[in-house]
Amino acid sequence: MNIRHLSRRGFLNMGAAAGAGLILPKTGLIRPARAQTALPPVAEADAKISFAYVGPTADEGWTWAHDQGRQAVEAAFPELTTTYVENLPYSADASRILRRMVGEGANMVFVNSNYGDFLYDVADRAPDVAFYECDGRTTLPNMGTYYVQHWYPSYIAGVAAGLMSETGKLGYVASFPVPSVYSGTNAFLMGARTVKPDATLQAIVINSWFDPQAAAQAGTALIDNGADVLFGIMDEAAYLQVAEARGVKAVMWNTDIRRYGPEAYISSIVVDFGAWYVEQVRRRLAGEWTPTEDILPLGQGVDRDAWGQSVPTEVAAQADAVREQMLGGWTPFVGEMKDNTGTIRVPAGHTMTERELYEWNWSIEGVTGVDG
Amino acid sequence: MDIIAGLIQTAFLAGGVLALAALGEVLAERVGVVNLGVEGLMALGAVTGIAVVVATTTPWLGFLAALAVGLAVGMVFAFATVIIRANQVLSGLALTLIGTGMAATVGKAYSGTPAPAIFRPLDIPILSDLPFFGRAFFQHNILVYVIFLIVPLFLHWLMFRTRHGLNMRAVGENPAAADAAGLNVMAYRFWYTAIGAAMAAGSGAYLTLAFVPSWSEGVVAGRGWIAVALVIFAGFRPINAAGAALLFGFVTALGFVGQARNWPIAAPILSMLPYLGTIALIILPVIAWQRMRRMMAAPAALSTPYFRDTR
Repeated sequence: MNIRHLSRRGFLNMGAAAGAGLILPKTGLIRPARAQTALPPVAEADAKISFAYVGPTADEGWTWAHDQGRQAVEAAFPELTTTYVENLPYSADASRILRRMVGEGANMVFVNSNYGDFLYDVADRAPDVAFYECDGRTTLPNMGTYYVQHWYPSYIAGVAAGLMSETGKLGYVASFPVPSVYSGTNAFLMGARTVKPDATLQAIVINSWFDPQAAAQAGTALIDNGADVLFGIMDEAAYLQVAEARGVKAVMWNTDIRRYGPEAYISSIVVDFGAWYVEQVRRRLAGEWTPTEDILPLGQGVDRDAWGQSVPTEVAAQADAVREQMLGGWTPFVGEMKDNTGTIRVPAGHTMTERELYEWNWSIEGVTGVDG
Repeated sequence: MDIIAGLIQTAFLAGGVLALAALGEVLAERVGVVNLGVEGLMALGAVTGIAVVVATTTPWLGFLAALAVGLAVGMVFAFATVIIRANQVLSGLALTLIGTGMAATVGKAYSGTPAPAIFRPLDIPILSDLPFFGRAFFQHNILVYVIFLIVPLFLHWLMFRTRHGLNMRAVGENPAAADAAGLNVMAYRFWYTAIGAAMAAGSGAYLTLAFVPSWSEGVVAGRGWIAVALVIFAGFRPINAAGAALLFGFVTALGFVGQARNWPIAAPILSMLPYLGTIALIILPVIAWQRMRRMMAAPAALSTPYFRDTR
């Protein structure tokens, strides 16, 4: 079976192979979380699919992207109903709200992101409801996880950033020291170092996914420190606006937001969960659903955005050549790799698995500021 | 040097949001009304500013419209707390909830649109081009000068150098005595609460028209609460309030610069700095110097509705 020519169905159903320990790079690491029977089918007209969002749907970022996915579900299954809650807090209130979704008859609940125990408690007590936690770390008999392999487009954007940076100093506006940030900073710098070997990356942790004021100040501090390309993992555009005003470049996340800084915009790590959401809802309705752990691969849910207007064509071509290689199955995440204290973390010859990339929790040489 | 100039510049820019809201809160609290609705008012002002600028592309109109909306909402709040004498804390919290909710609803149409026109940094001949001082002090947008120079000095003069200001403070300290002296306690409280609310909304417009030039739900991110706290820190004095906001902006910016330059201090400690600093600066002078306790004290009748028949 050639994994590069799998249909989405086949791709999602190849869980058994992955579960047997065969972890293939670039396949999306799909496996059933627990061996168990599927939840019973639901008639489309009776189905209720609920979404819980970390931010407002109007954030032009992460939550907006997920809400596009919800709308894709509505378009694909016009008879079912969808509901959503915005700004789900990280507190016991989250459990209360999720429990209410269950009480209102939801058949399937998508939660993003990272609600952890607030969610597990609810999922445990509602065994006939299917749950998905975005960027989750645990699975249950009725709960799977999903995320995107954003480290590949981050690497591609890093190549472009390295070519466009003059100082070789990259800045990163980080939310929290979580795996997404480690993999983002590491991949970005690795990409940049292929074209500018002495490049370094400095991160500032602002303790929020959404705080335009703090992100703007962090961006200013990074630029004052010499950074001339900014990257980050914010759900809004504040540091892009700072970059535009100060005449430096920026790489963004989630969606195309180049209108906030057309000159500064290099690209964005764009996510599209629509097709995946539709497939999961289809499985649930058809009575085929068992929990999965999905990390959507490059080109199938996550990608770089169209290059910004100030990106020279030869830069775009060079970065896109890397992208083509990645789509062909090549991965840059190969040992030997050292962390920023000089310890060898990935031995020579070892290729980091998608699981290891997903759980990356150390900074490579040249990345500072994430560990605090 | 560039780093320090950048620090001071960011301190003014970020502190401006807090300063204007805190100055408004000083007015309200000096006449005895606690307004906990600052967060909501800022959200309303922020969305009004962006909405008007999208329609007219004139930042001043956006700012004035935010002041007008703040004044109108502030009058409703003052009606509830001063005339009807509802509980000020509850009314303020309600105002925050209504304000942020309304702003989110109205703002749906404007999120994702960068402000088409903003308050641009001024280019002052000679001064703006000075090394260090140019970037630190003379490349700000016009509102920064209004917020940090004109408004605090004017309010200080008004409150401590005029008869009107003395009356105003009397209303906040002892409304019964002020009433007996023939002052219209209700009018003082009503109007200064409303004007304070207008200034809070104005700080929201400053946020979306000068600092982060776009609207998105949650853009205020709790700064309204900080502004309320700064008023206590500032001892209910306008010049101190502007200074406190500047200091807060400076220490916040310092935390980011510390991270950018890899100071050997844990990032969470650096993020805590503004708050630790505020607590230390409130407590230490009072411990060290007894007289400060009286000088920094809140107006005696703060948060107490005034009933003429119970005096």
